Amino acid sequence: MMNTEVSESETEAAEPKRRSFLFAVSAAVMAFGLTAGYGMFAWLVGAFLYPFRGSGDSWQFLSDLGSFGVGESVTYQSPAGQKIVVTRLSDAGTVGDFIALSSVCPHLGCQVHWESNNARFFCPCHNGAFDKVGKPLSGPPKDSNQTLPQYALQIKNDLLFIEVPTTSLT
Amino acid sequence: MVTAVRNWFSERLPISGVQIAELTNEPVPNHLKRWWFCLGGTPAYLFVVQIVTGILLAFYYQPAPSTAYESIRTITHDVSYGWYIRSIHKWAATLMIAAVILHQMRIYFTGAYRKPREINWMVGMCLLLCTLTIGFTGYSLVFEQLSYWAATVAANICDTVPFAGVFFKRLLLAGDSYNAQTLPRFFILHAAVLPAVMIGLLVIHIGILRLQGITEFRFEDEPDDKPPTFNFFPDHFYTELTIGLVLMILLSVLATLLPVDLGPKADPLTTPEVIKPEWWFYVSFRWLKLFSGTFAVVSSGFIVFVMFVWPFIDGWIRKHTRYTEASVWIGIVGVFLLVGLTVWEAVVEH
Repeated sequence: MMNTEVSESETEAAEPKRRSFLFAVSAAVMAFGLTAGYGMFAWLVGAFLYPFRGSGDSWQFLSDLGSFGVGESVTYQSPAGQKIVVTRLSDAGTVGDFIALSSVCPHLGCQVHWESNNARFFCPCHNGAFDKVGKPLSGPPKDSNQTLPQYALQIKNDLLFIEVPTTSLT
Repeated sequence: MVTAVRNWFSERLPISGVQIAELTNEPVPNHLKRWWFCLGGTPAYLFVVQIVTGILLAFYYQPAPSTAYESIRTITHDVSYGWYIRSIHKWAATLMIAAVILHQMRIYFTGAYRKPREINWMVGMCLLLCTLTIGFTGYSLVFEQLSYWAATVAANICDTVPFAGVFFKRLLLAGDSYNAQTLPRFFILHAAVLPAVMIGLLVIHIGILRLQGITEFRFEDEPDDKPPTFNFFPDHFYTELTIGLVLMILLSVLATLLPVDLGPKADPLTTPEVIKPEWWFYVSFRWLKLFSGTFAVVSSGFIVFVMFVWPFIDGWIRKHTRYTEASVWIGIVGVFLLVGLTVWEAVVEH
């Protein structure tokens, strides 16, 4: 017959082990719960703060190809108010014929303006200058070879469209 | 009657006047009798002025692109003493930034950041960055031309930072460019997030100062038998009170003689021909004109990083080289650059 009785000294030895095991398990569960709970909350806060809205741009009709000759420029005003100079440079009949220069300086986002006496676009914020097709002439944009950005154009059924902002701030 | 009231309170708040005096009576080194050693208390006092006047302004300010400018016009022209409260807020901001810079220079040139005070120097650097950011978000709220273009430029500066830049730009602007949700973000940063962070940092800054005690400094003209310290309460407390009064008079004079006006309203389609940030950003503005975008931003970040860890760099130089006073010469070059670039930006149009 097996002796199933456990001596008193063995019980005393097992008790602290069991206690420290239980303590470790409960601490781990607590740590997991705290991390999961507050981590989930932090993730929610991040998602709440990170913007959901897109650019708010849309495609607008600009001109038909037939009435837009090579070398011609038109000034187009977007629904949000931007004045955009669109120029036709060649006659291949593709979207590559045209450039629509943005007036947003590629350096840090100020508005450039055309200086007719210097034949250049000038940015008053950090002295960037660009030629009439948007290539950098001087200032920080010249140092890092940043050209004026262009609005996206597309041709559909011989009609020219431009992608521009449609909502204004105020 | 008085005894009854005193007993009523002492039964509920078991602390005596003697204990309070003991707690506040930190021994203060003699050199703090010289006013330029009290420049740390000055921005702290001005910070309180900013909280009070800022809360008052928030009663009328409306943080949305369609209403912000008009609400500031109302504060400035219609609300009783609105011009005064707004001007105090603006001038206290200007003086606070000046005082923070002077305080940091004083700490730097007297070597008060050296072991064991490196951590407090870094806490101070965090306070400097918070002060500059709260100044920047403050003038963004006015929604005049400068506000709009400064915010646009700052967001695009974020954009040029490698790796995480685009993320922070979108987070700051609540989109790819300045939009209707941008201004409320600047407002909540200016009026809630940054003040809360700064209060926390100030508690740590002053807490560490009290734990370590103030650096002791003896001047040659002091007699040897003079006791090295004097009492915080009431002696130094009176000095701080006097500084507070002088600042309040100075602020009132500045606000009355040079009240803050309102520039043209923000126009997202036109950057003004001549545009400059507030004077405390002249240095970085000129730096951005001198170098290409990414280099200017990354080098600025590097300079700030070096300032952060300067106590350790200085410790290394003093331990491993014979140039023990290198920090003084580096500091002089730094101050000349700071003043030089600021003056350069101030005197030219572009």
